[in-house]
Amino acid sequence: MLIFKLMYLIRGYVVIRSDNKNSEKLLNILRRRNITLWDVEKKGKGIKFKLSYEDYIKNFELINEIVKPVSKKGFLLKLNKVKFRKGFSIGVLILIISLYLLTSMIWDVEVVGTNQSNTNKVLALLEENQIKIPVSISRIKAKQLETLIYNNFEYKFVEVFVEGSKLIIFVREKEAAPTEVKSNEPSSIISVKNAIINKVIAKSGQPVVKEGDVVYEGQTLIMGIVKNKNSDEFMMVPSDGIIYGKTYYNFEMKEEKIRSVNVSTNKSKSVYYLKINGKSIKIIGDKDPYEYYDYRESVIKVPILSNITDISILIGAYYEEEIKEIEIDKSTAQNKMKVAMYDELLERCDDDSRILKSNINFSEDDEFYYLIAQIEVIEDIGEKIRIFPIEEQTEENMEG
Amino acid sequence: MSKFNNFRSKLADELEIPNNALSDNFELRMHGNKKVIIENHLGLTVYDDDMVSIKTNDQYITIKGSKFKIEEINNYKVIVKGNIKEIIFSMKE
Repeated sequence: MLIFKLMYLIRGYVVIRSDNKNSEKLLNILRRRNITLWDVEKKGKGIKFKLSYEDYIKNFELINEIVKPVSKKGFLLKLNKVKFRKGFSIGVLILIISLYLLTSMIWDVEVVGTNQSNTNKVLALLEENQIKIPVSISRIKAKQLETLIYNNFEYKFVEVFVEGSKLIIFVREKEAAPTEVKSNEPSSIISVKNAIINKVIAKSGQPVVKEGDVVYEGQTLIMGIVKNKNSDEFMMVPSDGIIYGKTYYNFEMKEEKIRSVNVSTNKSKSVYYLKINGKSIKIIGDKDPYEYYDYRESVIKVPILSNITDISILIGAYYEEEIKEIEIDKSTAQNKMKVAMYDELLERCDDDSRILKSNINFSEDDEFYYLIAQIEVIEDIGEKIRIFPIEEQTEENMEG
Repeated sequence: MSKFNNFRSKLADELEIPNNALSDNFELRMHGNKKVIIENHLGLTVYDDDMVSIKTNDQYITIKGSKFKIEEINNYKVIVKGNIKEIIFSMKE
């Protein structure tokens, strides 16, 4: 019966009310004409029933002679009405087509991660490659654009993606390479760390330190000014060589014996916001429902609406947490501190450094485990720096 | 029931085919005491909130109860819904 009613809801039906006392006669007349009636109900003295729109049209004269229809219902009947409203139908059609076109085009290009002049250059490159705003989303091939920009500019990283009706080009500029001293330029080698000289290998230049000397940071190790053998004049040469020095690194670390850890209780509550132009309006849910929690946000874009306007739904999820105290055993704490110490040492030393001696002591009190260590390392402590001749003061300079 | 109709009914029973395929007998089905489906009827004689009377070939079927509603009616079948208390079969005079 449900399918039957659903079918006539689509095809259309007519509701008829008759106040005739002899309702049985009416039902029998319609039945004899092979008309199916349903939902026949007694209404006061008369009856109310439904029949299909097709039967109503076929027996229009007969039915209108006896009774009057109350209402006509059904999807197809509504559709027929719309047919007559041509202007309205055309308007709706144009609206749908415009919405589709507007949402399937790129209307703006945003370049993130670089300055205005570079942005203009990127936009000019896009125009050269026939990507002029507005452009259809289907014409945007992200990977091809990324390769194009990457090949034409010196960017470290390029990512192109479409967000709504906006093309976003995310770039990361290359960091400027440190200035290197060219091999043919006059230079000296200086110490970058306080150290005790272990070995001096001077390929060119004049070494000014010897094994066992204590040197400080910034002190010259190989000088780029050498005396000419044939005359008393000094000349500037590029220095080259390796100076190994013993350096000492001291570490002091501590690790808590009892540590507080946040543990999830698997309970969560959500709060919903309506986000309009960057402002959030709370719809459902409470803020800060738990004492300790982990908060995460996610944005849901409303299809079509979010593309045209800046309206979206923001869902904030609060995951309840409880704080538990865990005791850390001695060996774990010692290993952790040792690993952290060597990590720090690696950051402070070069890759080709060598540990000569390490002296690590552990201790503890009521609250903490301690590590006190001194590491003796042999490493290259030299760094090349450019040297310049001192300009002689001329008379003009003196006057100035 | 006319003699010829009676014969057709018996023949249908012997051949093990549906009775209403050969005879003019009505078929009545009930779903609990809430719904009655009568097939092969000849029309309504009385329709009220507490009583519905249906004419068949040889008999009148009178259904008594309350809140009666005709769910569907066509030339062949009638479905009556409501609280059914009593069904009376009476022969045509």
